[in-house]
Amino acid sequence: MSAYRYTEQSEPPAAKQVTDVAIERFEHVFEVDPKLMTAHVAQQVFPNWDTLRIVASRHDHLDWMHRHWADKVISGQQLLDELTE
Amino acid sequence: MTVAPELAEPVLEELRQVLGSEHVLTSKPARYNRARVPAPFPVHRWAERVPDLVVLPGSTAEVSEVVRIANANRIPIVPRDGGTGLTDGAVPVRRGIVVDVKRMNQIKEIDEVNRTCTVGAGISMLKLNEVLARYGLIYPDDPASYPCSLVGGRIGTSGWSLIGSRYGHSRDLVLSFDFVLPTGRVIHIGDGAGRKLSKSSSGYQLKHLFMGHQGTLGIATEATLKLFPKPEAELSPFFAFDNYDDAYRCVGELARAGVATFAGAVLFDEWKVNYLRRDDEAYIPQPTDVRALVCAVAYGYEDEVIAGGKRFMRIARDNGARYLGDEISEGDWAARHDRYATPLHGRTNAGQVVPMSWHCEDAAINYSNLPQVRLEWHEIIRKLREKFDMFDDWGMFTYTSANTGLDYLTEIDVGIWEQELDDASWAAWVDAKRDIAEVALRNGGSISACHGSCREGEVDLVPQELGGGYDVMLDVKRAIDPNNIMNPGKYGLDRAYESAEG
Repeated sequence: MSAYRYTEQSEPPAAKQVTDVAIERFEHVFEVDPKLMTAHVAQQVFPNWDTLRIVASRHDHLDWMHRHWADKVISGQQLLDELTE
Repeated sequence: MTVAPELAEPVLEELRQVLGSEHVLTSKPARYNRARVPAPFPVHRWAERVPDLVVLPGSTAEVSEVVRIANANRIPIVPRDGGTGLTDGAVPVRRGIVVDVKRMNQIKEIDEVNRTCTVGAGISMLKLNEVLARYGLIYPDDPASYPCSLVGGRIGTSGWSLIGSRYGHSRDLVLSFDFVLPTGRVIHIGDGAGRKLSKSSSGYQLKHLFMGHQGTLGIATEATLKLFPKPEAELSPFFAFDNYDDAYRCVGELARAGVATFAGAVLFDEWKVNYLRRDDEAYIPQPTDVRALVCAVAYGYEDEVIAGGKRFMRIARDNGARYLGDEISEGDWAARHDRYATPLHGRTNAGQVVPMSWHCEDAAINYSNLPQVRLEWHEIIRKLREKFDMFDDWGMFTYTSANTGLDYLTEIDVGIWEQELDDASWAAWVDAKRDIAEVALRNGGSISACHGSCREGEVDLVPQELGGGYDVMLDVKRAIDPNNIMNPGKYGLDRAYESAEG
């Protein structure tokens, strides 16, 4: 377990520009480019752990939804692979 | 508290006697929170639609008593279930009493032999299915508001289901229901003398009449529903195309293929893909030559889903599709059961992010008319956006309504910066909605496959769509609700009383 350090959590990793309107700070986590949020949407400091928690929660929710509707999810990739074999 | 003169203390006391004081709500939060639905509206006019009070009945008998009191005192009454409808059915435009049915959320019976259940109208499908899963059963009515919409609202709106191409929509899944008429009289609607028939040929078929009326004919209180085995397997492949025409052809072939487990197919156009590439993290990394998307969905036993799924894959491949992979396919589909939880923002013409609410304007359109409707609808929004920098075109999707691919729920999603709306921009939006409905009718469609058509703008064209049927609608309304107390001001039904007064 590592100690909680405020500065670590309040300073997000450097942003990588992925499109002209989106950036990526954490792997596979895309954010609206902050330069598009200067006129009407106030920005706030957001702890890194909270960003990752929200992403993880979203995945939990989607997993729950799958289980709610069916016992199993069939892989489309597997079906496609079998077609091309 | 501001209470209309008709709701003076003697009436309030009568309601408290019936329901108990704790179930007669007069506070500002209780009333303001039941004044709107999720569809954007001119928030500067919020106060015009706040009810005088809210009641929370716990039984059919209590609903009946409330309605009887309202009718005797000529007080408007508005049924409210989940309040998730998008055509203002649950909005009290004439104030009065909102009847919130959420306390009536019990499961009364699960009949495993006949595969039915009987529930209070205030239960959500999600909570019901959590219980039914223990029996290996499911009630497959699946709106985009699945976690928060309620069975009674699905009856009042005659709801459309995401997986209706496999299991049918609310009108197919609700077998029968108890219904409180505007006089307070309770009747049972459905086939046969019991509750559990799916088909009879005896007498008038009233079930469709008392579904989809947007609360203008009465209040459903208890319903018997048709159940299915909980699916063993789910498949939801998403495919990318570099042009709309190939995607359009592909979705048509998927829908017409006759696969038994086919639960729906969706087509996203170029504008939708642009929106997704801008603001949906699953699509942000997609290459720029992705210009249209198609999804096909199947539910059933594993072996039959696999067999049908291979056919889907073959059709898509033959139409030039690129499979987007399991992660996007599975994640995107799971998210479609719960679109109301999505926080939304849009863009000004300059590209700046602003908070926006989501308005989806829908229609029922035949497959062959989809391309033309799409072009005309986007042009309407382009012109609107030119004049008012508070609307954003979030693209269109079309979604099979049935298992033969003949007609599609067709939606254009429009972001609206509600806080900036004023009378002029709202009027322009209402004009645009009317124009959108006109395009649907001119192309042989219906103003709505899903939401209903009693909001400002499109409601003006309902008489045109229904023709002589609209006159019958007026006659029915007047006969069933002689004092116009049940959700007045909707569907232009006030005119049912004009000739009588004249």
